[in-house]
Amino acid sequence: MADPIFVVRGLVKSFGGLRAVDGAEFDVSRGSITALIGPNGAGKTTVFNLTTGFTKPDRGAIAFDGRSIFGRSPHAVARSGLVRTFQITKALTAMTVLENMMLAASDQPAEGILGLVTHPFSWVPKEHAIRARGMELLERFGLAPLADTYAGTLSGGQRKLLEFARLLMAQPRMVLLDEPFAGVNPVLGQRILAHVHELRAEKGITFLFIEHDMEVVMNNADRIIVMAFGRVIASGLPSDIRRDQAVIDAYLGAHAEDVA
Amino acid sequence: MISLISLAPFADADFWLGVGVVAGIYAIFTLGLQLNVGFTGIVNLGQAGFMAIGAYAMAILIVMYGWSPWLALPVATVVAMLAGVVLALPSVRLRGDYLAIATIAAAEIVQSVAQNATGLTGGNNGLLGFDAAWQTIQSWMLSVLSTVGLGDQDQIPLFLVTWLTFGVLMLILVALQHTPWGRVLRAIREDEDAAEALGKNAYAYKVQSMALAAGIGAIAGFLLALNISLIYPGTYSPDFTFIGFAILVLGGLGSYPGVALGAILLEFVLESTRALDLPLAADKVAALRLLIVGFVLVLVMVLRPQGILGKREEMVLRG
Repeated sequence: MADPIFVVRGLVKSFGGLRAVDGAEFDVSRGSITALIGPNGAGKTTVFNLTTGFTKPDRGAIAFDGRSIFGRSPHAVARSGLVRTFQITKALTAMTVLENMMLAASDQPAEGILGLVTHPFSWVPKEHAIRARGMELLERFGLAPLADTYAGTLSGGQRKLLEFARLLMAQPRMVLLDEPFAGVNPVLGQRILAHVHELRAEKGITFLFIEHDMEVVMNNADRIIVMAFGRVIASGLPSDIRRDQAVIDAYLGAHAEDVA
Repeated sequence: MISLISLAPFADADFWLGVGVVAGIYAIFTLGLQLNVGFTGIVNLGQAGFMAIGAYAMAILIVMYGWSPWLALPVATVVAMLAGVVLALPSVRLRGDYLAIATIAAAEIVQSVAQNATGLTGGNNGLLGFDAAWQTIQSWMLSVLSTVGLGDQDQIPLFLVTWLTFGVLMLILVALQHTPWGRVLRAIREDEDAAEALGKNAYAYKVQSMALAAGIGAIAGFLLALNISLIYPGTYSPDFTFIGFAILVLGGLGSYPGVALGAILLEFVLESTRALDLPLAADKVAALRLLIVGFVLVLVMVLRPQGILGKREEMVLRG
């Protein structure tokens, strides 16, 4: 594959007697929109947790943009430019929408107590710049009127949008989305998808997303990775995946030909 | 008719100054707890231990090593902060109840050491003679106060120093809360995983939070030592921390000014039992005080669960 930004090799994780991830291997090419699919329990979310540091992998190799991120802590992974969302949105409920945005900025030196001491005044203008960037993104996502309300008062759909807008504040090079369209009405789902395509075109951000809706997957993903029983059983173009016998047996079922 | 309540103590300036000094020390002590519990979301039940470490370090440096108090105070504060780091490093990764248990155990260890390392701490006899410099300052302040006719109120100097210290510390903490650093702290309180996913090293922030709280606890410890001119293990017993938690409930989680109000209310309720003229033994009246405090706590939790200055909306949103 040309220029992979994200490489996973021989990834293994057991929980007690259960091998949740059993030697998973795949590549994600730079600037692609890649879908990760598979039946429930295939290990998709576990792969996200292992690669973003939220769960410690037993063994294997994970490289992001040419550097190993195997076993690194979640904040270090995020700092390296690989940012994720969660299946259940994590809006910081008792903070305002704008505070949620500003928090995610990765270039505020006064976030550290040392930086606060070494930048006693310059952090304030920086803060204004971050606020402006946050407002700009909120405008884009249609959340600007809610900037000063507590994030906890937002609807489920608005929270999904906020979480998506928020991770862009961290200026990621690659984004992992865990079921970004689950529980979201179709109109909002289309809006989020449109943002994904725009951001890829504008900033060259790579997207890897877990999704169960085959129509969304087939119409939007450049490539598809299929997992079952903790392993990757197939990966390739949507047209190939649709015809792959192993995938049809494990996941898609006989109706796959009808989709899209 | 026999009156059970005598209002005479309330007419006495000494009563109010006494309440003020102790409330101020409680308030400073609780500022650190507020930083941990209210703004970082870590349940630190070992704050009394840090207070003890600070006070003992100060007294030991002055009494045993002959240090100047002006050097001993900052060094003792740093010692307490280092103790905070040492406790935080292995324990702040623990969640909820486990962290609470680890921290209270640490405070118990501190008290055991204070009781048993007699060569260093004087054991249960405690340490004396660390406050010569303070006596000088106090006399000077009283001589100034006597020019305005307040020279015979010898609690005023400590009262002023305590509340001035509280004011300065509170301003620093409020200012910190409005920095990007404070914002990360609040994010960690809301959802540690979300903060981590956005590139924030939650562990490092928790360690910093506990170290700062420990330093603040040490300062409360200095003032408590000056108030009674003696340091012994009983004054710094681990259950002192629970007074701080009662203050947090009264004043409200996530509010620094609420700490001052909560501390004053708590100490007033504790001391106001002096107004009770009951046909009971002194120790029974003393026990009654805690009963009344418990009643006031229940009352606050029923009528105003967010505390006097806590934000109800934030409490509800956090669930």
